[in-house]
Amino acid sequence: MRNSLRNRRRSLLTIMSVAASLCLLGVLGAVYNNFYYSEASPHQALRLIVRNRVSLANPFPIAYRARILQVPGVEEAVILQWFGGTYKDARDTNNFFGRFAVEPERLFRVYPEYKLTDVERLGFERERSACIVGRKLANRLGFKLGDKLQIVGDIFPLTLDLTIRGIYDSANDNENLFFHYEYLNKGFGGGSRMDQISTLVIHVRSTDLVPVVSRSIDDLFRNSAVQTLTETEHSFQLSFLAFLGNVKLFFLMISSAVAFTMFLITANTMAMSVRERTREVGILKTIGFTPSEILRILIGESITIALIGAAVGLWLANALVGLLRNAPSTFADFSAIRMPNEIIWIGFGAAAVLGVVACFVPAWNASRLSIIDALRVSD
Amino acid sequence: MSPATQEPVIRTRNLTKEYRRQEYHVYALREASIDIRRGEFVALMGPSGSGKSTLLHLIAAMDRPTDGEILVLGHDLRSMSESAVARWRNAHIGFIFQSFNLIPVLTALENVELPLKLTRLSRRERLDHAKWALELVGLGDRLTHTPRQMSGGQEQRVAIARALVTDPDLILADEPTGNLDSNSAKEVLTLLTRLNKEFGKTVVMVTHDPHAARTAGHVRYLEKGMLLPNGEVPEDWAPIHHVG
Repeated sequence: MRNSLRNRRRSLLTIMSVAASLCLLGVLGAVYNNFYYSEASPHQALRLIVRNRVSLANPFPIAYRARILQVPGVEEAVILQWFGGTYKDARDTNNFFGRFAVEPERLFRVYPEYKLTDVERLGFERERSACIVGRKLANRLGFKLGDKLQIVGDIFPLTLDLTIRGIYDSANDNENLFFHYEYLNKGFGGGSRMDQISTLVIHVRSTDLVPVVSRSIDDLFRNSAVQTLTETEHSFQLSFLAFLGNVKLFFLMISSAVAFTMFLITANTMAMSVRERTREVGILKTIGFTPSEILRILIGESITIALIGAAVGLWLANALVGLLRNAPSTFADFSAIRMPNEIIWIGFGAAAVLGVVACFVPAWNASRLSIIDALRVSD
Repeated sequence: MSPATQEPVIRTRNLTKEYRRQEYHVYALREASIDIRRGEFVALMGPSGSGKSTLLHLIAAMDRPTDGEILVLGHDLRSMSESAVARWRNAHIGFIFQSFNLIPVLTALENVELPLKLTRLSRRERLDHAKWALELVGLGDRLTHTPRQMSGGQEQRVAIARALVTDPDLILADEPTGNLDSNSAKEVLTLLTRLNKEFGKTVVMVTHDPHAARTAGHVRYLEKGMLLPNGEVPEDWAPIHHVG
């Protein structure tokens, strides 16, 4: 242990380089896990999203809902219309949050996890310019009941003047603003956008029925002018990631580059460290240490440094994941992100392997050096 | 002085060490034959490059001969594997370097304990042995000092403690006073003499310091890789007159 850290500055820099790399790998792993391996909550698992098969930007008629509600297994369907728009200064990312037009009376049947008092709920349902906001969003922007706020439309040429009538709580996804779809639809004034929606959220009776319902809805409109694409809420969220390109490949490439850089830095440091200690190898051999014992000592020291770096890096990664969990949602929902145990074990495992691989060649050469040659170094 | 027995603990015959670099052949040692008996204190003297350190390294099995025979404590070192030689060296040889060669991050006690880590002794026993060795060389109050916190003479005494802690049969010293002032050198030579006389250790010391050589019971000279016959001295060298 003391040998591992004898050159403090170099050991510290090596530990930091391993820590930085593993921190990045840890955060990437947690984000990847959050996107692709996180399990849907029980409520999420019962929801399907219907949209235009062509793209999310293309709407479909609101009239489809009546037919969808006829599909066996469908319990409820609520419009979830992205509004976008600008709240105060768009340059301040703090002012970014989800703004959706919904039907209040249906919303809570599809999203039963959204909790608010009966008074707030009634206030939201009865007033066309009412809106509700998530608790996290309210805390972030200091919203209170009765506050008035204005959203200036960008996709839709409409300015919304809303009054906050409720603040809802939810285990996750509580950074949105919901207002009346009727307010939006009436605002179109009979134009082509009237009675056209981009997404409809379906509540299915049981999870067993989800695949069947999904297929049935799409089959229902297969021969229509506007065809639908019905997918789970989780898949729908992932489709936003797909806008960025091949995210999996992106993750793989960054992780590989980080791992390779980490390997080069550590291998270089270990080679320097072993070379610096060649004379000591000669001393140890004179005392009676065998080549294999010396190899084990040198590799053990390398592993020690790599594992300290891994511990620091993964601890930092865990802290960053915690920050991400509490950060405002922007393009993705990280409210349930966590550092999986698998990532931690993989991180430590990778560090240990790195410690062995980076050190093996110089350690092997040093351990095989004759005593005389080893003692001659730096003589 | 403990009487040297007739049994040779070191026996070499025509021992040769040759270095080959492309077409150049350099003989570091050529056909050296020597018998050193148990309990002897022998100094190997000669000018730089005469082959004295090479002979010492071959006796310690730190290097392999090119030709000739070498038996140390009855073992033919040429036929042993590197690992077997390492273990043999740990059990039978205590080696003292000119430049001390202590591990800088370890304390005096830990440096002396190091060879015992290859034995089956418990940690408590190892520390007891290491303390005893350090007390023997007069450094019982420097157990927790690192090499950087000690003088050259103290470092060399730690190195001697490390060499004797395993109770080896042979103490081999390569210019042990070469880096020391006269007082420290005297202390080190006194210690080596004590090890030879009181503990019956066979000591082989390489030196080119006539004062150091005088403490040895026998002096053998080397010149240009050749071990000179007993009693012969290189040209321009005055023979050593032993003290006591």
